[in-house]
Amino acid sequence: MFFKITPTQTKEADLSKVYDAVVVGSGAAGGMAAYVLATKGLKVLLLEAGRQYTINEINDQLRSTEWPYEHPRRGAMPFDRHAITFNEYNFRQPPYAQDSPYKHVHSYVQSWGGSDYSKNIVVDEKDHPYTGTRYAWVRARLLGGKTNIWGRLALRLSDYDFKAASRDGYGVDWPISYKDIAPYYDKVDLLLGISGVKENLPYLPDSIFQRPTKLNASEISLRQSLARMNRVLTPYRAGVATEKLKHNKYRNRCYGRGACNRRAGGCDIHAAFDSPTGLIYPAMDTGNLTLRTNATVSEVLVDTNTGNARGVAFIDTETGRSYEAKAKVVVLAASTLESARLMLLSKSRQHPNGIGNSSGHVGHNFCEHIMGPGITGLVKDRIGKPRTLDDGRPGGFYVARFRNLTEKHPKFIRGYGFEGGGGMTMFPGNAIEQPGFGKDYKKRVRDYAGAFIEMGAFGEVLARYENYVDLDPTVKDKWGIPVLRFHYQFGDNEKRMAEDMAESAKEMFEAAGIEIVGVSRNVLTEGWSIHELGTARMGNDPKTSVLNQYQQSHDVKNLFVVDGSSHASAANQNPTWTIMALAWRSCDYLADELKKGNL
Amino acid sequence: MDDQAREQLSESDLSRREMLRLTSAALIAAPLLKAEAQSQTPRFLTREEFALLDELSEIIIPADEHSPGARTAKVAEYIDFTLSESFTDEPRKVWRDGLKLVDALSQEMNGKPFMQASPDERIAVVTRMAKGEANPRQPEEKFFAELKGRVTYAYYTSEIGIQKELEYKGNTYLKEFVGFDAK
Repeated sequence: MFFKITPTQTKEADLSKVYDAVVVGSGAAGGMAAYVLATKGLKVLLLEAGRQYTINEINDQLRSTEWPYEHPRRGAMPFDRHAITFNEYNFRQPPYAQDSPYKHVHSYVQSWGGSDYSKNIVVDEKDHPYTGTRYAWVRARLLGGKTNIWGRLALRLSDYDFKAASRDGYGVDWPISYKDIAPYYDKVDLLLGISGVKENLPYLPDSIFQRPTKLNASEISLRQSLARMNRVLTPYRAGVATEKLKHNKYRNRCYGRGACNRRAGGCDIHAAFDSPTGLIYPAMDTGNLTLRTNATVSEVLVDTNTGNARGVAFIDTETGRSYEAKAKVVVLAASTLESARLMLLSKSRQHPNGIGNSSGHVGHNFCEHIMGPGITGLVKDRIGKPRTLDDGRPGGFYVARFRNLTEKHPKFIRGYGFEGGGGMTMFPGNAIEQPGFGKDYKKRVRDYAGAFIEMGAFGEVLARYENYVDLDPTVKDKWGIPVLRFHYQFGDNEKRMAEDMAESAKEMFEAAGIEIVGVSRNVLTEGWSIHELGTARMGNDPKTSVLNQYQQSHDVKNLFVVDGSSHASAANQNPTWTIMALAWRSCDYLADELKKGNL
Repeated sequence: MDDQAREQLSESDLSRREMLRLTSAALIAAPLLKAEAQSQTPRFLTREEFALLDELSEIIIPADEHSPGARTAKVAEYIDFTLSESFTDEPRKVWRDGLKLVDALSQEMNGKPFMQASPDERIAVVTRMAKGEANPRQPEEKFFAELKGRVTYAYYTSEIGIQKELEYKGNTYLKEFVGFDAK
């Protein structure tokens, strides 16, 4: 017995009409903007560059519980598709797909197991080149953007992050405090669902958690050992509904199938948050949201009299035809780098450096998370034990930041956390490492599978003016739009922090009595964390920031940029929950201002 | 957006239906049997090369009292398929050359090609190939690394590898998460 949801027809975009708001991009930020504004009664046009997959279509692609042997290539992409390798990022310069013999080239995430399920989600680098310094840029162009495959770790920032500059003297404080955003974190928690355990940490505030996931045997003993060092290992705080969300008919609760851990991500019952089922379809149900997919926005259009935004120009992604959409307010949510690109592309008499860029800071202060250092260990008393089910959950564990909280580290500022997991997985990683062959080898793989535990760090990359993107003067994408050129690399603080990541990982495993199998000290290519932030930062000073505390352009009152580009620093927490809380707060303000006639 | 796009199942119906699908061995076995019937002729390798690879895979992951080995798991068939589908010629050359090296080494050590050697003589050849595993230098040592990598991948992603050998318990619908509460 099935029950059917009455479909909500989205109206055709009416390009003769002036919408209250046009939202560019449909990921975490754009989805939230569309949801909040439509719920408040504004007439909203949502533009997405990629196509829309209906729920059934995306589910047919994700097939979360398909076994490797049920798939002709064991989950791999068709062989005419290529994922850029770790080495290629190191010895080549962008554009990485240039001169590639393969029909399609994708970023590194498509080399993971199960990449066939996400091949239509991650962009083809051939159509979307970029230039400059090396950067592993992962992009998704379809309704929902990267939320279709995101890593799900959903953390809050605290005043240790918002006021970090006041604490250590580097950079600028955010124009908000934790108390300003806390009510919006609460709203996001309740609307979308989040799993976790309360730990009462001032530097990693608790959410309003649903049913927590559990730890397996090796993880619980590491948690206990870390507690003796005053460090906290907590179950993965997953942006996943582990209990049914009664207000959302498009999503199911999590059943611990674990596919989100084995693949680039994606959940065919939508327990893991994604923007279409979590935000966009509910927004459509208000009757106030119009969706236009295959709309590649190329410019924010300006009223030549006032210098205000009057809408956007877009190209139909399929046909190449040009269109304009008109709105009272323009909301950019195209992602940190794409929103910066759009602002730089939008040059006019009033805004010769690009719209909202009188400060010259658009594209600058670009930051993210540094990754790579990590550790693998063997928990000896787990060898040869009866098999347990250890990976039926949306994530393993998170070790909260412990550096530069109460003491000052002599070598670097800011902090890092670890993501990790232990226990049995579908593919036994030790099959690669165990030497030899034959019956002994086979038995060792069997006995040791499930006895390993590993974790890898994510650290704050300092926002620096000299790390930036601009427009390449010659290279254009498939639609003839100038592409981004990167001028970005990790600095000394990051390198010293990375050394400490490896050392502290070692120290923690040793203290827990875990036999260390390998320590990775190598830093992964810039971009690897897929947490790019800060290219249009918020601030109180229009000379050194692009947006005010409501993500509103200092220069252009009816232009808002509600994605990760607004973040004044990267902190070390995964940003998606903060992106959505901020977007919600700003759109509340936007709706009020519009009502008052201030926009 | 059409009706179908918004079709969604209730929570309880979905889990029941999916659980049925996952626990039904018959549904999983049917496509495998079909694949077996079609696998008489190798796609890329010659019959001789295929037989050699099949034997090598079984030496690396043999049947034991716990579970069947690489041969029953059709590891050679999967590797042959991936070679036939490879977009570039390089892997095909590596494997064709590599299998030749195995025969040449057997000729050198045993005075006969690999498949004509005795079981012990065959294991001696593979032992020699695996000698430099930590730091492969000789061509046959490098081929062993490639061989073992693909054989283990194919075996541990097969139904036999996952279900019988490793007795993997996940990829199933859980009412409650399994493990210990973080307290």
